[in-house]
Amino acid sequence: MEELVRIGSIKAKVSAADWKDAVTKAGSLLVESGDIKKEYIDNMIASVEEYGPYMVITKGFALAHAAPCEAVINDSFSLINLEKGVEFGSPNDPVDVILCMACKDKESHMENMMKIAKRLMAPGAVQALSECEDDVSLYRCINGENEEV
Amino acid sequence: MKVPKIQCVCGFGCGSSLMLRMAIDDILRKKDLEADTFCGDVGTCLSNPCDVIFISRELAERIVDRADVPVIIIENFMDSSEVEEKVTAYMASLE
Repeated sequence: MEELVRIGSIKAKVSAADWKDAVTKAGSLLVESGDIKKEYIDNMIASVEEYGPYMVITKGFALAHAAPCEAVINDSFSLINLEKGVEFGSPNDPVDVILCMACKDKESHMENMMKIAKRLMAPGAVQALSECEDDVSLYRCINGENEEV
Repeated sequence: MKVPKIQCVCGFGCGSSLMLRMAIDDILRKKDLEADTFCGDVGTCLSNPCDVIFISRELAERIVDRADVPVIIIENFMDSSEVEEKVTAYMASLE
C-alpha cells in the first residue's frame, strides 16, 4: 500500500475535552505542516454547527471537513484517535477516531479520498484504528503494515 | 428500463458522500445492478437531475419537503448491510 497520511499528520491517544477540541487538535496537525490555514479549522467547526453531526458517518468515526476553500493550501489528511471518545450528538457517538480532510477543490483529492475510504470500509478498520496505542501503529494501520515510517 | 441516476449527498459533496457513493457502487457491482452514481452537496442537490437521493438523516430534513424524487436516508454510510438493503429495495421498486 502507499502512504496516504504522513506520520507528522498522525497522533494517537489525543486527549480532547469535547468534539470541538478534538476537531481542533486533528486540524492543528495540518496547520503545523503548512497544509491548511487556521481558518479551515473554524470552518470545520462551523460546518458541524450548521449541518449537525452528519460527519459522524459510522460508529465511532468522524470525517471532519469543510467546503473546499482558500484556507486549504494542499490537499491533505490528518488522523487522530482519542484517549476517550467525545460526543458529537450523533447516533454513532462516542467518536474516538477523527480523519480530517482538507481539499482545495471538489475533484483533486478524489483519488486519495477513495483510497482512504476503501481502507476505512474494510470490516473492523475503524475499530482497529481506535485501538492503536501510538503514532506508528496508527500510521501503519491507515497506510499499511509494511510502510516505512 | 432506463438506468437510474443515484445522487449521494453530504454537506459539500466531496467527503462523506464519496464514501456513500463507493458503498453503493460496491453493492451495485455485487448484485449486478446498473445505475449511475454521483455526489452532490446539500445546498445544490435539488437542482441536479437525478432519480433518487441517498442522504444522511441530519441533512435529509433540509431537503425532504422540497424534493421531487425519493429521498432515502442512510444512518450509517459505512454499514454495508444497511446500504445494501436500501439500494436493493430502491432498485427493486423500479421494476
